[in-house]
Amino acid sequence: MLKLIQTEFLKLRRRKFILLMLLAALLMPFLAIFYFSGFREAGVDTIQFYKWTAFSYTPWIILPVVLGVFSTMLMYDEHQNDMLKQLWIIPISKAEYFFSKFIIVLSYSVCFMLLTAGLSVLFGMLPGYITFEWGSFCYLLKKCMEIAILTAFAIMPLLAVAAAGKSYIFPVCVTLVYTFLGFILLMVNMYLHPLSSMSAIVMGDIPGVVLAQTLNIPAALICITIWCAGSVALAILALGKRK
Amino acid sequence: MCSYVIETKRLTKKYGEQTAVDAVNIHVEKGRIYGLLGRNGAGKTTIMKMILGLTPVTSGEIDVFGQNIKGREKRVYPRIGAIIETPGFYPNLTGTENLEIFAKLRGTAAPNAVKNALDIVGLPYRDKKLFSKYSLGMKQRLGIANAILHDPELLILDEPTNGLDPIGIAEVRDFIKDLSTERGKTIHISSHILSEIALLADDIGIIDHGVLLEENSMETLKRKNSKYILLQVSDIPKTSLVLERQFGVTDYSVQDDHSLRIYNASLDMAAVNKALVVQDVAVISSQLCNDTLEDYFKKITGGEGIA
Repeated sequence: MLKLIQTEFLKLRRRKFILLMLLAALLMPFLAIFYFSGFREAGVDTIQFYKWTAFSYTPWIILPVVLGVFSTMLMYDEHQNDMLKQLWIIPISKAEYFFSKFIIVLSYSVCFMLLTAGLSVLFGMLPGYITFEWGSFCYLLKKCMEIAILTAFAIMPLLAVAAAGKSYIFPVCVTLVYTFLGFILLMVNMYLHPLSSMSAIVMGDIPGVVLAQTLNIPAALICITIWCAGSVALAILALGKRK
Repeated sequence: MCSYVIETKRLTKKYGEQTAVDAVNIHVEKGRIYGLLGRNGAGKTTIMKMILGLTPVTSGEIDVFGQNIKGREKRVYPRIGAIIETPGFYPNLTGTENLEIFAKLRGTAAPNAVKNALDIVGLPYRDKKLFSKYSLGMKQRLGIANAILHDPELLILDEPTNGLDPIGIAEVRDFIKDLSTERGKTIHISSHILSEIALLADDIGIIDHGVLLEENSMETLKRKNSKYILLQVSDIPKTSLVLERQFGVTDYSVQDDHSLRIYNASLDMAAVNKALVVQDVAVISSQLCNDTLEDYFKKITGGEGIA
């Protein structure tokens, strides 16, 4: 399994688009420069700044879409290049193959959120909205890691759809529908959709955030676990049929 | 008793109502090159895919290295190197980088395995050319390098010379031959090019529309299809006596009650005819025949020839 993960990293060499997608981490910190310009006089609360740059639209929409597209690329390219049969005859188990891809998605998610954290501090300090404090920085890092890990698990169904799909179009469409559905359901029932559950866990203890329902962390974790288990089953089944 | 490296027993593959492979019994002997010959769509790739577990078997059995392959894939596949159809690799990596990935996945211990495999197929080691820039011939060579990377005992090569230029084909043919003769590898190769199989294989299986029409050693097949004299006479026993006693010919075969084949095409037929007439044997006809393997292929497939 470790070898498989190592080779997954080797396969990403010279994939510039994957690096370019990390630029999406710039979006919210950059927009924050304009959004908070009106609040400069009154003073900007550091946690509120980070909430805007890293804990809101980033986990709700930006990160799931980026990870969905990344998952599609990981799965689709091997299918397009007719690689799978060469891997199966090594032999590599379908489950190990799927989990190695998941580890890559998880690592990418962590990189994305670390970048978001770094850019949040930078774009807050450069215009002078916030000052650097270790306490708030550690809180930002902790929350970013929570988002990175939980979102990677929450988008596992997208990785499974990408494993089952034969083209880019369907998994990317599913990514968009899945992400927006997660965002909408956050306001309806937080324990139906993994992304809503992830958002609920992450936002539950952020000061000033009011959730649509009472936070129930076990229910949110169960929701994510059920979807992940279903995704693994679907992926193994689909990969078994893809020769 | 022969030790078969691959043995299929009534191997069948159906796609819905269509039978792609019909009760095929293949016997690949250890250390030999087995050529599976057939037109495009005859079922060659399907058979290879079934052996490698890439497509499910409808019915029948596959034994590889003397054991039924089902459930033993993890033990058996590491002993096999294969190319199925056009081999795919990561386009963003160089040939060396691609092979390093496969070497790592296979746990190939030999430190120079990648370099050796690339040397054998004539591709440069550690060059900067990406796989996406490779020509079809280079891609095919890299596929072969990948198949031999872990020094497998059995090679399954599906049309390995596809896309290669004539010199490349000759080179690949030579090293496939070397792998068998010098390193004792067993090779199961498929092709739709008769001349390719004829030059390479020790044993041949001819497949058409999913049915294995013939399985024989190339030696036997060549003998069946070399130059011969077809002699039609009134009395076969007397003719045999004349051939053996007066001309010392033993290399002949009786076809039916009135015809026989003499495989020594340089025999003086005028003298034979004279001797037969003296023995009161009527010579109906005597002709020099030169059947090629292609003629034979046409005959047994009952249709068009093969390149």
